[in-house]
Amino acid sequence: MNEKLQEAVENFQMLDPQLRLEMLLDYANALPPLPERLHAQRDAGLGRVVECQSPVYLFTSVDDGTVRLFADVPEQAPTVRGFVSLLVDALDGAPPAEVAAVPDDLLRQLGIAQTLGMTRQRGLGAVLHRIKHAVAEAA
Amino acid sequence: MSDYANPDVLVSTEWVAEHLSDTQHVRIVESNEDLLLYSTGHVPGAVHIDWVNDLQDDTVRDYIGRDEFARLCSERGIADDTTVVFYGDKNNWWACYAFWTFKLFGHADCRIMNGGRDKWIAEDRSLTKTVPHYPSTDYEPQDPDLSIRAFRDEVLKHMKKGGAMVDVRSPQEYIGELMHIPGYPDEGALRGGHIPGAANVPWSRAAAEDGTFKSREELEAIYLDEQGLDAKEDTIAYCRIGERSSHTWFVLKYLLGFKDVKNYDGSWTEWGNLVGVPIEKGEREDG
Repeated sequence: MNEKLQEAVENFQMLDPQLRLEMLLDYANALPPLPERLHAQRDAGLGRVVECQSPVYLFTSVDDGTVRLFADVPEQAPTVRGFVSLLVDALDGAPPAEVAAVPDDLLRQLGIAQTLGMTRQRGLGAVLHRIKHAVAEAA
Repeated sequence: MSDYANPDVLVSTEWVAEHLSDTQHVRIVESNEDLLLYSTGHVPGAVHIDWVNDLQDDTVRDYIGRDEFARLCSERGIADDTTVVFYGDKNNWWACYAFWTFKLFGHADCRIMNGGRDKWIAEDRSLTKTVPHYPSTDYEPQDPDLSIRAFRDEVLKHMKKGGAMVDVRSPQEYIGELMHIPGYPDEGALRGGHIPGAANVPWSRAAAEDGTFKSREELEAIYLDEQGLDAKEDTIAYCRIGERSSHTWFVLKYLLGFKDVKNYDGSWTEWGNLVGVPIEKGEREDG
């Protein structure tokens, strides 16, 4: 696992379930805004993660062997926003191999899978799946 | 709101604002799809109830037991005679689910704040991050009211006699094509389609632009005129796991006055996986 993600997993695991949610909320507050050059694509509906109940948009590319990851997630959906923010923080600027190596059970490793329940895990799992898929295609 | 069959179950955002200090008789409950949303700010004095962590018991795929429910209410300062007002995100989708669950456990006085969280915020009303604590109550556990909950055998019987059903999922889920589109969410079921004979009315059609419920006239145009449902007939609503359909259940029962309407919470994740029960694909066949 990439170093930043490993660090996040360790930080989450040190906390009790309630504090893990607070940490996820901190990530939600820290998601960088979507760059303006991607607004038109978002407004045209591109990059939408349909598995999520809220309008969530992901834009992934690989430039010169470096993954670029941008996202737009409404503030009214802090759970998915927090998870996306954590992934952006760990994976934007990483080599494609590190994205491919993100464990599919990341939510479980973060210790939040059970608190989320199956239905919410489905939406968040789709976020990770889409990022991995897009990077694999572009690399 | 007064045109509805049971107008008292809906309260306005004004009503809630006026009753914020009446914590002796009224408890405001926020229930959301999003787990963290309550923490970002909520109606002052509102407590949080999460459908996954507070209402469900995933070891049996069922709701919590009556004693756990009584404990949950006691901890939130809800007594048997407390007026419980639910509101939440996404057109009160999950608020209706919590409302239905409270009714299932026999809580007498449940209401929905019309327009939910979005309307409250759109009206620039106050929000707080302070989590309230109320004195615990002696909540008397009740036997569940199964007249509002349908189980699979009952749904099968209902289907065989041609009973009225409403599938409130999206048209793509209903006709069964969604599972075949790569990258689209699967339904958690092995087969795609719907219960034979069910009408398809996506749940969100009952909501107006501002998240409030549509007027009685508009709702009747959809459910009665367009879909041919009848308020006098036994009707079952279902979706994927029973949450979207609790919104429709609320609409049919309280706003349109359907005499006997049940929510089938097993819904498609159960029916689509059952051995030996029929499904229908594509459009409804019996017209």
